[in-house]
Amino acid sequence: MRGAEPAIVCDAVSRCFGERLVLSSLTLAVERGEILGLLGPNGSGKTTTLRILATLLQPHGGSARVLSYDVASETMEVRRRIGVMPERPSLYERQTVEANVRLWADVHGLADPGEAVGRALQFVGLEDRRREPVGSLSKGLKQRVALARAIVHRPPVLLLDEPSSGLDPLAAAAMENLIRGLAGEGTAVLLNTHRLAEAERLCDRVAILREGRLLHLGTPRQVRAALLGHIVEVELAGAVDLPVRRAIESFPAVRETCWAPSAIRVRLTDSERDTPELVARLVSAGARIIAVRPAGDLERAYLELMSQPLPGSLAA
Amino acid sequence: MNAVIARSPVRALARKELGELRRHRMIVATAVVLPVAFLVLPVANLLFYDPARAIGGPDFAVGQAMFCFFLTPVIMPATMAAYGIIGERDQGTLEPLLTLPISDRELLAGKVAAILLPTLSASFAIYLLYMAAVVVVVSEPVRTPALDWSWPFGLLLTGPLLALFSTLTGLVFSARSKDVRVAEHLSGLVLLPSMLPVLLIVTRTVEPSLVAWLGFAAVLSLLDYALWKLALRAFDRERAISTV
Ligand SMILES: Nc1ncnc2c1ncn2[C@@H]1O[C@H](COP(=O)(O)OP(=O)(O)O)[C@@H](O)[C@H]1O
Ligand SMILES: [Mg+2]
Repeated sequence: MRGAEPAIVCDAVSRCFGERLVLSSLTLAVERGEILGLLGPNGSGKTTTLRILATLLQPHGGSARVLSYDVASETMEVRRRIGVMPERPSLYERQTVEANVRLWADVHGLADPGEAVGRALQFVGLEDRRREPVGSLSKGLKQRVALARAIVHRPPVLLLDEPSSGLDPLAAAAMENLIRGLAGEGTAVLLNTHRLAEAERLCDRVAILREGRLLHLGTPRQVRAALLGHIVEVELAGAVDLPVRRAIESFPAVRETCWAPSAIRVRLTDSERDTPELVARLVSAGARIIAVRPAGDLERAYLELMSQPLPGSLAA
Repeated sequence: MNAVIARSPVRALARKELGELRRHRMIVATAVVLPVAFLVLPVANLLFYDPARAIGGPDFAVGQAMFCFFLTPVIMPATMAAYGIIGERDQGTLEPLLTLPISDRELLAGKVAAILLPTLSASFAIYLLYMAAVVVVVSEPVRTPALDWSWPFGLLLTGPLLALFSTLTGLVFSARSKDVRVAEHLSGLVLLPSMLPVLLIVTRTVEPSLVAWLGFAAVLSLLDYALWKLALRAFDRERAISTV
């Protein structure tokens, strides 16, 4: 491993198909142990980004690196260090679970492929189905086989294209837990999703893509604040009284206030930075707080963002 | 290419290819029916040889039989090779394969090895069975020409080269076609004229001498080498995963 730069780096990466620019100067980085979600509607360039990092597509502009190895010129070094789950179901359906994972272990030239396969299957909870043909498994289990295959060589970088798409909530939750576990061990994870809720739940940071452009990049809370405008809702046990009113009106970070009998909605300059201070001021003013939550309908804000006309210039 | 095959990723790939081929009904059917037919026909031809009715004499009858044995290594790989790249792309399994630390040479070598193995096993097996039948049940006047040393020599020398020729042709078209069937038909068109030298030898237009076999083998080797290079060029990773 070279240098101390993040595990995954995209540096102004662009890509065309024919005349069409489908990825436009994308810049982002993923640290070790971090889960970064690429969120966007179909056709926004998520799979293209992942394929560039997986050495499947060449970037037409900019550069991308995995553990400091260039994806365009040091492909073998990159391939040895990544685990990939593609978008399409991509297992050998007629072969057994074990044979599918074993092929990956063998091609990676692992010292003890049998042990590695056993460990990977145990991690995804499929060691008792190892002799079954993949074609006989449910979609959720197939995705787990695909994950086992992707991690059999313990890659420090994982690239997952919509890992829980098409899964029922239970199977999706199981998949999310597995991914969390891997990140917990220090794996850098880049995953694609078109589901906002999943991105919020699972990812440390979210990059919102639309038509190949990066619109937002930040923690789910930052993205939420950016989409919803830093509005916080405070619910009180009793009615809003004068000291509470004063406390809020004297707080310079409050931009706008909306009063209800026992609740307050405030727009802050930066909800992530200012909320703790707001709460502290309220408490010392004698407010009895039941709940503090970011306000607004995130799903709706996201849909609005996706349907607004794009600005002419880059939004990165 | 030998050096490449010996490396373990290639062996792993070849094993996986064989496992896949075994599970394709069309491919297994071709691989079984064809050699069986090409065994039964020549044996029957020689067994029921009737000098009074045969055209062209015993040499011609043996030549007809031999044609089947040279045809087997050419025909058997065609379906498998045409499937090789485009088939795996359609199935969606090529994309993850290309994220593994393997070069194009290793990937193609794995496919070639997996096709040559059953092809050559079947080709030589049916020839051995045929020879056994000739020794045990076939009588003169076809027995002596059938046991001529130049046939097993020629088959051993050029059989693998013919099989490789057919395999690489199929893979070139498979890498460049949008459809398995198109790849199969196109490689069929190329393979037919390639059988002309074989036809010249089995009909004894060209005597099956040492020189003739060596010359034929030399030409095939050159062609195979050129085709290997062509297959490497035809195989384009971005194209291989594109579904549009
Ligand atoms: N091989 C290709 N050839 C031409 N266009 C492509 C190809 N792959 C993707 N595209 C186009 O690029 C755009 C982005 O696609 P993609 O990265 O798959 O988006 P997402 O994964 O976000 O749905 C889409 O408009 C798609 O049609
Ligand atoms: Mg996609």
